[in-house]
Amino acid sequence: MADIDLGRLVIRAFDIKSVSWGDEMKVTPQGEMIISKSMLPDLVSSMDTIEAVDIRLIQPDEHDQWTNTILDIIPISTKALGVVGEGITHTLTGVCAMITAVDTEGKQCHEFGSSEGNLKEKIIFDNPGTPSSTDVIISFDVTLKAGMGQERKGPYQAHLLCDRFLQVYREQMKNFDGKLCSARNEFHNISRPGKKRVVIIREVAGQGAMYDMQLFPHEPSGVEGGRSIIDMGNMPILVTPNEYRDGILHSMQ
Amino acid sequence: MGVGPSAKETSLHHFRDPLLDLISSDEDIDLLGIILFGSSDKYSEKILTSTRAAIWAQGMRADGAVIFCEGSGNNHVDFANACEQLSRRGVALAGLTVIGKNGQFVVTNDYMNDNIIDVCKSKGTVEPCIIGENNLSYDDCKKALSILKIKMNKNKS
Amino acid sequence: MGIGPSTKETSMHHFRDPLLDVVSADEDIDLLGIIIVGSPDGNADKLLVGTRAAIWAQGMRADGAIISADGWGNSHVDYANTCEQLGKRGIPVAGLAFHGKNGKFVVTNAYLDAIVDFCKNKDGIESNVLGENNMNVKDCRKALAMLKLKMRKSDAERGV
Repeated sequence: MADIDLGRLVIRAFDIKSVSWGDEMKVTPQGEMIISKSMLPDLVSSMDTIEAVDIRLIQPDEHDQWTNTILDIIPISTKALGVVGEGITHTLTGVCAMITAVDTEGKQCHEFGSSEGNLKEKIIFDNPGTPSSTDVIISFDVTLKAGMGQERKGPYQAHLLCDRFLQVYREQMKNFDGKLCSARNEFHNISRPGKKRVVIIREVAGQGAMYDMQLFPHEPSGVEGGRSIIDMGNMPILVTPNEYRDGILHSMQ
Repeated sequence: MGVGPSAKETSLHHFRDPLLDLISSDEDIDLLGIILFGSSDKYSEKILTSTRAAIWAQGMRADGAVIFCEGSGNNHVDFANACEQLSRRGVALAGLTVIGKNGQFVVTNDYMNDNIIDVCKSKGTVEPCIIGENNLSYDDCKKALSILKIKMNKNKS
Repeated sequence: MGIGPSTKETSMHHFRDPLLDVVSADEDIDLLGIIIVGSPDGNADKLLVGTRAAIWAQGMRADGAIISADGWGNSHVDYANTCEQLGKRGIPVAGLAFHGKNGKFVVTNAYLDAIVDFCKNKDGIESNVLGENNMNVKDCRKALAMLKLKMRKSDAERGV
């Protein structure tokens, strides 16, 4: 029998050529990104487990520097049309977000082993889950209130803070002219009747603070609107290939 | 809204569920399983859970689904969305729920027409508050299954 | 127990997941979907959710499953149980997990005969380096090849 197309997802990538400091938060489809810390004080005061946050821009030749333990590496994507898993997604390449966290007592926010140290020794670059060696890393260095790194709310708010910051850029990315994208990828959920029926089962974190997984966020790889697999009793949930590759999961580990 | 006494399904009802009996004993049917999802009190969750149910049915490559909704009123919001999401994914559909005179659909869409069976048995316009009166019967289930078979045949051709 | 930095799968990893790439691109495979299942704290919960995943897979009439875990130690309790529950239901299963030297299975059973160890650290340890002990395309191809072999064997045994 012929293959059946169950749905289409288009991901348009916009390559970012420069990330620099400025007075406004701005990103253009031509590849210029400007970062400002202006909204950080408001974000910090809205989160009761967070003491402070700093942003660093780590250029590709600046990996030789200290980092606190790494919570996550996040692609910056948004829905231009449709919901996660279908329609059109705009994503940035050449740049990614990183969250690190430590508490006011100096305790790293980690569960089993932590990755603080010299950044160049603490990441294997160019893996699927890590930045490319040529990426600019927007590093969110979160200082949690004492002990909050070991409570679920602490790392959750660190992720949420970063997500709300990125949302400002996402709103601009939604309006990018698709014709200006540097790469366009089209993905289809294909049913192949008569072929071997296979499922992928992914056992993910579900035990606590850094050991959690957020599903169904409003934005690809986002936090807002999502819910934790712990709160859903860790029960199995099926997602389509296109939902998965669009970013319907956000690692809270 | 919600479930009144006459539409309430007791644990005993689930234990002796006529819908399951009928479908699991039909030799033309490969019953993949029963998907349970809750009817939440929040609108966004209603849409989320009923959409997830449809996505899962599609992942199961289901040819058809019989969907039953306990109660009426706001529960029909999830029900209507599940009907729409399943149909849009090419899953043939028959539905069962209490409509009667006071359970008219609060929302409706293009996927809920001749394929929905009203399991209401009471004659009046109000919830009669009698346990078991408006429960689904074996006949309701037979009707739903035959509608589903017709729909599946149509989809095939 | 749990996950260290080297086995952690970032949001970026899920966005560019090699396992999904490999399996969805294979024209001999009808990929039904990805079941996400949490790894809870309590043992009873571990057995419950893993068993539910296997029951779903059976309900989906899956011919085979590839299972991955992003941690080790106590996460392998769920993992081993899920493999067993799949296997007992006649669903061939291949898997990917971190073992190395310090992540050997803490429990074992008869259905763990097709597991790819994606440890990359040469000493076989949790190195605390982000991304080091993650699965790559080669690991995923290997797991899929093992699954195909198991599915073929299972067909032969059932005379299909």
